[in-house]
Amino acid sequence: MSTGTITPYRSGQRPGRDDFPHLLRAEWTKFRTVRGWVIAMIAAAVLTALAVVALAGVSNGSQNAGADPAVAIGPGGEAVTDDFYFVRQSLDGNGSITARVASLDTELPTPGGGSPPHIAVPWAKAGIIIKAGSKPGSAYAAVMATPAHGVRMQYDYTHDLAGPPGTVSAASPRWLRLTRSGDTITGYDSADGRHWAEIGTASLAGLPPTVQAGLFVTSPPLLAPQNSVSCRGVACSAGTPGQSFAANSPLFSYATQATAAFDHASLRGERPGSAWRGGQIGFPTGIAFICTPSPGHFCPRTPAGGFTKSGGTFTVAGSGDIAPYVTHVDPLGTVLKGSLAGLLAVIALGALFITAEYRRGMIRTTFAASPRRGRVLAAKAIVIGLVTFAAGLAGAAVALPIAENKMHSGGWASSVYPVWSLTSSRGLQIVVGTAGLLAVTAILALSAGAVLRRSAGAIAAVVVLLIVPLILGVILPQGPADWLLRLTPAAAFGLQQGTPHYSQVTSVCQPINGCFPLAPWEGFAVLCLWGAAALGIAVFLLRRRDA
Amino acid sequence: MNALRAEGATLREALHAEWIKLRTVPSTRWLLLTLIALTAGASALATAVVKCPASCGEDTTKLSLTGILLGQAAVAVLAVLVMSGEYSNGMIRVTLTAVPRRATALAAKAIILTGVVLAAGAVSVLGSVLAGRYILPGNGFTKVNGALALSLGDGPTLRAAAGSVLYLALIGLFSLGLATALRDSGASIAVMLGLLYIVPLLTDLGTLDPRWERRLQQWGPMTAGLAIQATKNLKKLPIGPWPGLGVLAAWAAAALLAGGLLLRLRDA
Repeated sequence: MSTGTITPYRSGQRPGRDDFPHLLRAEWTKFRTVRGWVIAMIAAAVLTALAVVALAGVSNGSQNAGADPAVAIGPGGEAVTDDFYFVRQSLDGNGSITARVASLDTELPTPGGGSPPHIAVPWAKAGIIIKAGSKPGSAYAAVMATPAHGVRMQYDYTHDLAGPPGTVSAASPRWLRLTRSGDTITGYDSADGRHWAEIGTASLAGLPPTVQAGLFVTSPPLLAPQNSVSCRGVACSAGTPGQSFAANSPLFSYATQATAAFDHASLRGERPGSAWRGGQIGFPTGIAFICTPSPGHFCPRTPAGGFTKSGGTFTVAGSGDIAPYVTHVDPLGTVLKGSLAGLLAVIALGALFITAEYRRGMIRTTFAASPRRGRVLAAKAIVIGLVTFAAGLAGAAVALPIAENKMHSGGWASSVYPVWSLTSSRGLQIVVGTAGLLAVTAILALSAGAVLRRSAGAIAAVVVLLIVPLILGVILPQGPADWLLRLTPAAAFGLQQGTPHYSQVTSVCQPINGCFPLAPWEGFAVLCLWGAAALGIAVFLLRRRDA
Repeated sequence: MNALRAEGATLREALHAEWIKLRTVPSTRWLLLTLIALTAGASALATAVVKCPASCGEDTTKLSLTGILLGQAAVAVLAVLVMSGEYSNGMIRVTLTAVPRRATALAAKAIILTGVVLAAGAVSVLGSVLAGRYILPGNGFTKVNGALALSLGDGPTLRAAAGSVLYLALIGLFSLGLATALRDSGASIAVMLGLLYIVPLLTDLGTLDPRWERRLQQWGPMTAGLAIQATKNLKKLPIGPWPGLGVLAAWAAAALLAGGLLLRLRDA
C-alpha cells in the first residue's frame, strides 16, 4: 500500500507573463523577425524620399510667380504685394497721424468708363499708414477700415490685428490714429474722435528717422471663375467662393477700385512747410478689367488711382493690396504627394500586421498567450504606429531639404515659394506631420485589417477612404469638395501644404491650390478620430467574434 | 469505367471549375455588390451636387460616371483575390494539379473574371447613367441651358458608358496579372491602387514640367483609361478616348504576360 500522494506535474519554468510591456515586446518581436515586413518598412521610407525627390526633379518653376513683376520683397524676405494710392507727407522722428474715414465704396471699373458699378470687395482697405519709404515692400504699420472685416491694424504685410467690427458710413464714420515712438507704432480707433481705444502695437525694427505718413486706399482684385460676375443696374456680384462653381474652373482676376472720403486729417511732428501729395505706390498702373493668371502671364492689377481735396475732405481712389503675396499653386505640396508611394506600403503593412496572423492561424496562439484581446490590439497599434512614425520621419526629413534644393534650382523663387528649413515651424510641420500621417494611417489600416480579416479588402478600403477624396476634391464643386475634405481622413493631407495661406488675403481656397478647408493640425485630428473609431470597432469585434 | 485523360482538363472544364470557385466564395457576392453600390451611389451623389447656372459647361456624361473612380477598387480586390486568394490558402496547388497547363488555368480565370466584371460593371454603369438622366435636369441641366438629358442613344454617351464597362474589365485583368506575378494579395492590391490613384493627384497642379505632366496623363493607367468617359473638349484631352483605353489594355496585357510567364517558371 502506498502512503504517498501523487504530486501533479509542475513545470520548473516560471509562468509567462502577459503584462503590457511583455505584450509590446512580443508584438515588436513578431514585426522584427518577419524579414519581408522589415524590408517593406524600410522600402516605405526610401520610397517616400525617392518619390518626393523625383517629383521635385521634374517640377518646373521657370514660368511661375517669382517672375511676376508685381511681386515686391517684404522686410522678412517674403514676397508681398504693395500696391496702393498714397496721400502723404514726411514725418520726422516721433509723431502721430489722425484721420476720419467718412465713407468707403468699392467698384468694378469697366472698359467703357463712366460711373463704375458697385461690387463687394471684402478686403478693400482705406486708412492711415506710417511707412519706412515709398519703395514697395518697405516696412509699415497701418490702421484701416474694411467693408467686411471691420477696423484692422496691419503691419509688415503678414501681421493682422482685429479692431472693432462694422462698416463705415456717413452715419457711423471711423476715427483712426497711429503714433510713432522710436520703432514702436501704436494703432487706435475711435467712434467720436475723443475716446480712443488701442488696437495694438507694432515693433518695426530699423525704422528710419524720417518716414512717410498719410492716407491710403487700395482694393484687391476679385478672384472668380470666368462669367461668374454678373451685373444688374449699378451693382455687380461675383460667384461666391465655396458655394457654386466647380473647383477646377479656371479663376479670373477682376480688377476692383475703392474710393474713400477722409476728413479731419492731421499730422503731428510733420516736417515744417510740407504739404499733402498723392502718388501710386507699387506696380505701374494699367487697367486690366478681366485677366486670367496663368503660368508666364500675370495680371496688371492696378487701375490708376488718384485723389481730390475740397475743403477738409480728401477723396482718394486706389487699387491693389498691401498684403503677403499669395500664389495659386502649391508646388511643395504637390511634390510631397510623392509620400503617397510610402503611404501605400504603410497601409499594406498595417493591414498585414494582423491579417497575416489570421491567415496563418497565429492569431489563436496570440490570443491563447494573451487572452485580453483589446490589449493585444493596443500593443499592435503602438508597435506599428511607432515603427511607421520612425520610418516616415526619416524619409521625410531626408526628402524635404533635397527636394526644396532641387526645386529652388528648378526656378521656384524662394521669396514666393519659401524654402523651409527642417527646424522652421513649417518644416517641422511638414516632416513630423508626414510621419504622423503615415503612423496614424498604419493604425487605421491595422484596425481595418482586424475588422475585415482579409488584407486585400482592408487595404482597398483604407486607400479609397484616404486617397480618393483628394481626387474627388478637384472634380466636384467647391462646396461638396470642401465637406469631403473636412470629414474624410484625407483632411490630414493639409499638413503637407507648402505655401502659407493668410486669412487677410482674398484667395480662393481650393484643393487644386494646395489649400485645405481645415487648418493642418485640425485635419490631422480628423484622421486621428477615424483611427480611434476604427480601433474601437476593431476591439469590439475582436472581443465578440471567435478568432 | 472512367477514362482518365492524360492531357489534363480542357479550357472548357477549367472554365467550369473557375466559375464554381468564384460563385461559391462569399466574398465575390459582397465585392460585386460593393462595386455596384459604390459606382452608382457615388455617381448619383456627384450628379446631385453639381448645379447648372454655376457649372453648365460640365461634361455631364463624365460627371455621371464619376463612381467608376471608387468602383474600380472593388474590381481590383475581386481580381486580386481570384489569384492570390488561392496562394494564401494553398488552393492553387489543387488548381494546378487539376489544370496542369498553367496558361489554360490563367486564361480560365481571366475569362470568368472578365465575364463577371462585365456583367456587374454593366449594371453599375447603367445605374449611374440612369441616376444622371433623372437627377441632372432637376439641377438646371435642361434644354434651356443647353444640356440634353443623358441618353445611351447619343453616340458619345454610349461610347463613354460602354467604355466604362470595358474599363472595369481591363482593371480586373490588370489586377489579375499583377496578382499572378506578385502572388501576395496585400502587395498586389497596394501596387495596383498606387498605379491607379497616384498619377491623377500629381497633374493639373501647375507644378510639374508640362511635358512630364502630359506623359504621366498619357501613360497613367487610370488617367489614360478614363479618357473614354470624355464627351466634351476631346481635342484638349492629353490622349483620345480609344487610344486611352488602349493604353490601359496594354498595361493589362503586359501584367498578364508577366504573370503568365512567372506562373510557368515558378513552383506554385
